[in-house]
Amino acid sequence: MDQRIAAFSRPAAVTITVRGRPVVAHPGESLAAALVAAGLWRFGEGDDPARPRTAVCMMGVCQQCLLRVDGRLVQACLTPVAAGQVVTPA
Amino acid sequence: MTHDVAVLGGGPAGMAAATEAASHGARTVLLEESPLPGGQVYRALPPGYAGPADADRRAGDALRAALAASGADLRTGCRVWGLGGGPLVPQGAAAAPFTLSALGHDGVPFTITTRALVLCTGTHERIIPFPGWTLPGVIGLAAATILLKVQGVLPGRRIVVAGAGPLLYAVAAKVLAGGGQVAAVVDAATHGEWLRALPALAARPDLLAQGAAWRTRLLAAGVPVIHGAHVTAADGDGVLGRVRVGDRAIDADALCIGHGLVPATEATRTYRARHEHRPQDGGWVPVLDGRQRTSVPLLYAAGDGAGVRGAAAAPAAGRVAARAALDDLGLAHAGSQDAALDRARRAGAAMARMMALRPAMVEAIPPETIVCRCEGVTRAAIDAAAADGAVTINQLKHFTRCGMGPCQGRMCGEAAGALLAAAHGVPIGAVGFATGRIPLRPVPMEAILGAFDYADIPVPAAAPI
Ligand SMILES: Cc1cc2nc3c(=O)[nH]c(=O)nc-3n(C[C@H](O)[C@@H](O)[C@H](O)COP(=O)(O)OP(=O)(O)OC[C@H]3O[C@@H](n4cnc5c(N)ncnc54)[C@H](O)[C@@H]3O)c2cc1C
Ligand code: FES
Repeated sequence: MDQRIAAFSRPAAVTITVRGRPVVAHPGESLAAALVAAGLWRFGEGDDPARPRTAVCMMGVCQQCLLRVDGRLVQACLTPVAAGQVVTPA
Repeated sequence: MTHDVAVLGGGPAGMAAATEAASHGARTVLLEESPLPGGQVYRALPPGYAGPADADRRAGDALRAALAASGADLRTGCRVWGLGGGPLVPQGAAAAPFTLSALGHDGVPFTITTRALVLCTGTHERIIPFPGWTLPGVIGLAAATILLKVQGVLPGRRIVVAGAGPLLYAVAAKVLAGGGQVAAVVDAATHGEWLRALPALAARPDLLAQGAAWRTRLLAAGVPVIHGAHVTAADGDGVLGRVRVGDRAIDADALCIGHGLVPATEATRTYRARHEHRPQDGGWVPVLDGRQRTSVPLLYAAGDGAGVRGAAAAPAAGRVAARAALDDLGLAHAGSQDAALDRARRAGAAMARMMALRPAMVEAIPPETIVCRCEGVTRAAIDAAAADGAVTINQLKHFTRCGMGPCQGRMCGEAAGALLAAAHGVPIGAVGFATGRIPLRPVPMEAILGAFDYADIPVPAAAPI
């Protein structure tokens, strides 16, 4: 499943690893958009009542999209995809 | 070096303000978090991307080109987290130049000092909680514009678009254009509200025509538009599966929902400028004179962050603010008239009224529904705190942790304030707003501490006994 809009042209696809699984993404798009495009809406589990966490605002405000990229805590909506990134839950 | 004018925020308001100030010879710097200026409405595509050209793209490119030609110092990709100077000086001391602390695009912290400061920080989205709003698959309506316009991604395959204001129709039309299916548009506004907005919208025929084109596209695609209605629940097994509107159940894998825009007033609050609660402007806004001056000398606010008036009004307001700053600094005698501003403001005000907080929706939040998703605070917990004596939003925060999480109340602050006000039977303005605090944005601890040393802490002399 790919929810990307065909009328956009974008750099050639690369592969990133999300929770141990390969996901196809395009360099420069936001990591949050790449996950949504792949239908991966669950950003984090945990036992808080508002979990699973998921991206809400796409503009850096809600902090619900926190993930780790190569071990570093980031906001997925503000982080551009790059080839080989290893994405794990926050 | 001390700048004459610093502009915080590179949306349409900030781009125009910096362009105006720099082209009058003021030493001007613009600070923007995104890699390129543009703001929410004219956000640039990622490098190497190309998308369908439209009126927004062209308007944004024009503002960016003027800015680049103006000679303003452009600092993009930097997060401003700290504010100081101005009135934030020890009691009795004279006002100082403003200081802005930022984390650069390269991760290196830096500080800007400026005589005048123009705040153009824009808005964020209001989502009034409802059962199931935290389910994955539910995102903001404005958030959806970013996915659709900038990232070129559909939020789902079968999408419900709900809430209030013109973004509803913009998002629905973009979903269709992108090849997605719109299962329904659920518009909080009635037909009557839209009819009443028409005369003001006619002041901007371009916007009216655009709105009509969006609607025609929906009609042609046979999309059901439900007016005067609200999403009553979202449900599904771990991810969104169904959207309920009263007793209607609509299958969907994404719900884009937003109930208006809230001015981002963290900076004006931090500087302790005077604010007023004006629902028709989006909520708490700084009190301004006719030239965008706040109550703090040499501090100005423009664009939607100073009261929601829309993208068309933002650049004109930014220019007015810059001219006021030039005048106040004695750098130029620039006029303050802007004819386009009045027309754009009238159209924007009609839209903003439609996007204003709807108290009945807040009243309808069920007790077990989470209001503050960072801290998991439910409506019942807020009502209980009110019964226990929390009267202001700051007290509510201390009683329940509502608004204390990573988003700092940006997502829940309005709904929480409205609930608290309703519990006490007072207007929302009476419960106040959360005190503005830095950091404005989350930044790593090292950036804040910098080259800090305990010996630098000023220790006041002990009071005589
Ligand atoms: C997500 C979103 C999408 C929208 N989409 C549309 C649309 O498609 N069409 C439309 O007509 N209107 C849209 N709007 C409404 C929007 O408010 C526009 O009217 C317009 O963008 C307002 O311009 P502005 O210059 O006032 O603020 P903005 O465009 O919001 O610009 C504010 C800028 O300030 C920057 N900023 C804020 N704080 C900091 C900080 N601490 N450090 C560094 N930078 C900072 C932000 O990154 C941003 O670029 C949208 C609003 C939102 C929130
Ligand atoms: S989606 Fe809200 S901060 Fe990233």
